[in-house]
Formats: sequence, C-alpha cells, structure tokens
Amino acid sequence: MTGDALLEIRGLKVGFPTPEGLVRASDTVDLEIYPRETLGLIGETGSGKTVLGMAILRLLQPNTIIEGEIRYRGRDLLSLPEAEMQRVRGREIGIVLQNSGTSLNPVYTVGTQIAEAVILHQGLSGPDARQRAVELLDAVGIPDPVRMAGEYPHRFSGGMRERALIATALACRPNLLIADEPTKGLDAVTKRGIVDLFSEIDRDHSVLFITHDIETAGDLATRVAVMYAGEIVEIGGAEEVLGDPAHPYTRGLLASLPERGMQPIPGSAPSLITLPSGCRFSPRCGCAVENCSREHPGLVEVGSGHYARCMLYD
Amino acid sequence: MNGIYLLKRLITSFAAFCIAVTIMFALLRLMPGDYITMYLEAIYRYAPPDVVEAFNRVYGLDRPILEQYVIYLLDAFRGNWGYSFIYKVPVIAVIGEKLVWTLIILFPATILATLAGIGIGAYSGWRRGSKADVGLLNGMIFIRAIPSYWLALMILIIFAYYLNLFPLGGYVDTSALATGIDPLDVANHAVLPILTLFLFSVTGTYYLMRNTMLMTAGEDYITTARAKGLDELTILRKHALKNAMLPMVTLITFECAGMITGSIFVETIFSWPGLGMLTYKALAARDLPLLQGILLIDTLFVIAANIAADLIYPLVDPRVQVGDDA
Repeated sequence: MTGDALLEIRGLKVGFPTPEGLVRASDTVDLEIYPRETLGLIGETGSGKTVLGMAILRLLQPNTIIEGEIRYRGRDLLSLPEAEMQRVRGREIGIVLQNSGTSLNPVYTVGTQIAEAVILHQGLSGPDARQRAVELLDAVGIPDPVRMAGEYPHRFSGGMRERALIATALACRPNLLIADEPTKGLDAVTKRGIVDLFSEIDRDHSVLFITHDIETAGDLATRVAVMYAGEIVEIGGAEEVLGDPAHPYTRGLLASLPERGMQPIPGSAPSLITLPSGCRFSPRCGCAVENCSREHPGLVEVGSGHYARCMLYD
Repeated sequence: MNGIYLLKRLITSFAAFCIAVTIMFALLRLMPGDYITMYLEAIYRYAPPDVVEAFNRVYGLDRPILEQYVIYLLDAFRGNWGYSFIYKVPVIAVIGEKLVWTLIILFPATILATLAGIGIGAYSGWRRGSKADVGLLNGMIFIRAIPSYWLALMILIIFAYYLNLFPLGGYVDTSALATGIDPLDVANHAVLPILTLFLFSVTGTYYLMRNTMLMTAGEDYITTARAKGLDELTILRKHALKNAMLPMVTLITFECAGMITGSIFVETIFSWPGLGMLTYKALAARDLPLLQGILLIDTLFVIAANIAADLIYPLVDPRVQVGDDA
C-alpha cells in the first residue's frame, strides 16, 4: 500500500468482563485504513467486527477493557481526553450503527437529527443546518427530501432509515466512515440500493465496511480483512483475498455461498471466553495438522500485501 | 377522526363514572352505624327512636334504598349533591372551601416531588452503578421503607417539638383571630406537611424515572447521538430525557388527580383543614352526603386525568396518534 495510513490500529485488545469470565471480543488486532480506500471487514456474527468499529470511536460500554493503540492521523484515540474525542466523533470519523430501525431517535424529526451534527461541528445556524440536512437526504437518494426532513423516523421504511443514518454519518464530511452491517435485515432490492449508494456517493473519505455478506464486500471493498474469533485471520487486496483465499476459513466462507455449492463450515464459532489453544480455527479446519492445536500462528505474508494467519504458510 | 374518538372516550368515561357512583353508593350504605344515632349517643348516651325517625324522614333515609339511589343519581347529575349532616350546608360548598386548603399543601408538594423525582431519577438511571446512583437509590429505598405515618410523626417531633422551627399543627397562629390570616403565617404552618407529602411522593416518581432512564440509556439512538459527538449532558437532556418522559405522562396526570384527593393522614397528623381531614371527619361521623360528594369529586378527577393523559401523549410522542385505528 502506498501513502500513510489514515487510521492505524496496533495490538488492539478489547475485553468485556462478565460473571462467566472475560469475553475477548478483539485480540491483538493490527489494521490500517488508507485514505480514500474501502476496507471490507468480514466474518461471522460474533467474530468481533462490530466491537472493532465501536472501539475506534470509543462507543463501547464504560467497563470495557481496551488495550493497544488506535492512531488517527498520528493521534492515539484511546488516550484522547473525552472532550477531544467528542470533536473526533461525527466530524473526523462518522459511523453508521447496526440496527438502523432503532438508531434514530423516535421523538425528533429526521431533519433535526441530521442538522444536530452540522450545528455542533460546523457551527451552522438552524435554518442553514436544515438546508444542509435536506441536501444530505437528497444526496443519499431520499425522494422528496424537503418533506421527508420534517418527518419522524417511524414514517421511514427500513431502507430509508439506513439512508438517513448514512446521511447523518456523512453530514460533517468525515475522513473515515465506519458502516456496520448497513445492509442487514434489508430485502434484496433495498440492499442493492444501499450498496449502489456506497459505490456512487461522491467522496474523498475512507470507508470501513463491516459486513457478513461476502458479495457486498467484494462489490465495494478495495481491500478485505477477515475476522475469526476476535482475530484477523486474513487481510489483503479484495481480489486476492476473495479470488485466491489463503486461509482455510476464508475458503470455507466462500464455499458456503449459495452459488458456490452452499457448503457450510462444520462446527460453530468458539466461545470468546474459552478460546481453543493454538490456531482458533483448528477445531473446524479440514487442513488442520497436529501442530495447529498447539501453536498459535502469526500473520504470514502470502502475496503482495496479502497476509494469512495459518500454519500452512509458516 | 379525533372528534369521534373524543365522543367515544366521553361515552366510556360516563359509563365508568356511573359504575363508580353506584359502587360508592352501595359501599357507603354497608358501613355500620348512622349519623344521627351516633351523634345522639355521643351527647346523651341515648338516641330517642322518635328523634332518629324524624331525622331520617327529613333526609329521606326512610325510603327504600333503590328509591334513594335513583333520587341521588338524578340529583347528582343536576348538580345537587345534598347537604352535609355535620355542617348543614351544601356539600359542594364544604368541599370547595376545603379543597383550597388541600391545594395549598398538595400543589407545591406534588410539583416539587415530580420535578425532583424526574431530575434525580434521570440522573440516577443515566449514571447507573455509579456511587451517586447507588447512594440515591438506597436513600430512596430507605424513605420508601419507612411507614409514612411514622415518618410524619418523626418530622413533627424533630422539627416542631425539639427544634421548634415550625408550629406543631393547624394552619394559622391564634393571633389570626385578632389580625386576620397572614399568608406568611400560613406558609410557615404549611412547610412540614409539604415536606412530608414531598417525601411520600418523590420516591415513586424517582423509581419510575430511574427505571425508564435505565432502559432509554441502552437504546441504539443514544449511541447514535454519542457517535455524532454530542456531550453527555446534551445527550441526557435532549435525547434520553424526552423519551424517558413518555411513561411519566400517565404518572404525572394521576399525581395531579391525586392532589384533589388530599392526604388523609398527613392532614390529620398536622391538623391541616383540607379535604383529607374532611374525609376523615365525614367518615367518623357517617356524614353520607359529604362522603358521597368527596368520592364523586375524586372519581371525576381520576377520569379527567385519564382523558388528559390520552390527549397529552400524542403531543409528546409523535408515534402515538390518538383515534387512529391503524
């Protein structure tokens, strides 16, 4: 990759203390996001994708244990005072949360909720911010944006709420947009519309696109990272990772796609409290050898900028 | 649509009112003892049967119960609520006079308790698990757990008797006989009853507010607000409070209806001449017309509070559209 990273995650560990033990939702994650690129972050439910996105903006619950560094333009976000962090949220980095259905406040109009961010970060007056909200709704493909800006969220369909949230996240022209499963729970046509929106919208920001939908990631991402049990197991250019996957887990994911035979990966993802020893995927892996359950593999370069966490390449 | 809805609402409210009035009428007549016998026995240790009979004839109490019921119902709708046995004046006049005194203590107490309950409850729920939350919660549980009559007595003993900061009871000083009623003097007498009522009422509001705030704080739109870069206070004030207030609407309207009911034992303990004490006196003397009148007023206000809550909801929550069948 050329140029300096916009966001650089180093050794990120995220743990949730629970009565049953520490849930290691993210374990020693290293990741870079470069200017203007779209990085697809894929993995099954519970693999730690959402936690990673939320950790970047420090939106996780207060008792979460976070270690490591998240450097945004050279500043470590994890050690930033809360007041400065508030200037990063929404202005430098925008996020579209999962569950678009419940992510808009039911008692304010959508226009008001978008304008709120604009007033806060760009110091626009009320009417100017409303105007900007209408423009943003128009830009994300909401029909009749002037009227819809004055409507409450319950009048919006699922796809339109998703668009409204994308408009909110983009309101202050952030440098990085984190989109967490923006196509989750949408029907095929609506989903297509949202994916098209991501590929069409004018931008000079980077996108971290979190999804469990490999096809969508393939359509949008320039690079892809695959997460399994809190770790990144493969990362590289989208064409390399999805076209010539190096990690058995990535291969398994691709083989489970309907058009590729719908072969599910046997077994289920491990508990994040009691992780398997050695390679975390080894209990489910068809290629596993004796050593896999003993040694924990590191990321190994398997091609140009393409890394995999597997004994096969050691 | 709204007109039809309102009409339906009024019809059902009217039915509820009729049922309540009927139950009241029946229950009051199930009470043992009657006014005139108890009155005569208290004074002469003996109630001459002919006097009792004459009294009952004058007040129509000798007629069949069903006839009494029909007469009462018709008169109640005509606005004739009868004469109080004790005061010998129209029931409405007695209630009107006492209501003012009840409101003098209950209005400030209810307003203060509602505001404080909402404020403290919201803060407590928002800062769930913090030292402040744990302290406030335990304090509220403590107040709630104390029997309220005992709390009233303790307040009276400590602040009025030992510390001598406030009068022991009543609503004005005896000097009022010479100089007339001084509002400041009344306020001084009202402090302890207001404090007691405040403590009774604040815990309920606090609990409900803390609970709804706990739920609201975990909503996705709160995270969205945080992700926009808003500070915690703005998120609490603008995004959380308005949503958490929705269940409070019902509580607040019923607190307002409760104001009218008065508080029987606070007024009794502090000798405050309001509706509560009136209710107590009327009950003790078996003053049926007065009791009926008091209960009628209570019923009307509870029904009105119900309608008010229904009408206020759509103003607070845009998702609620009153009268929409969809």
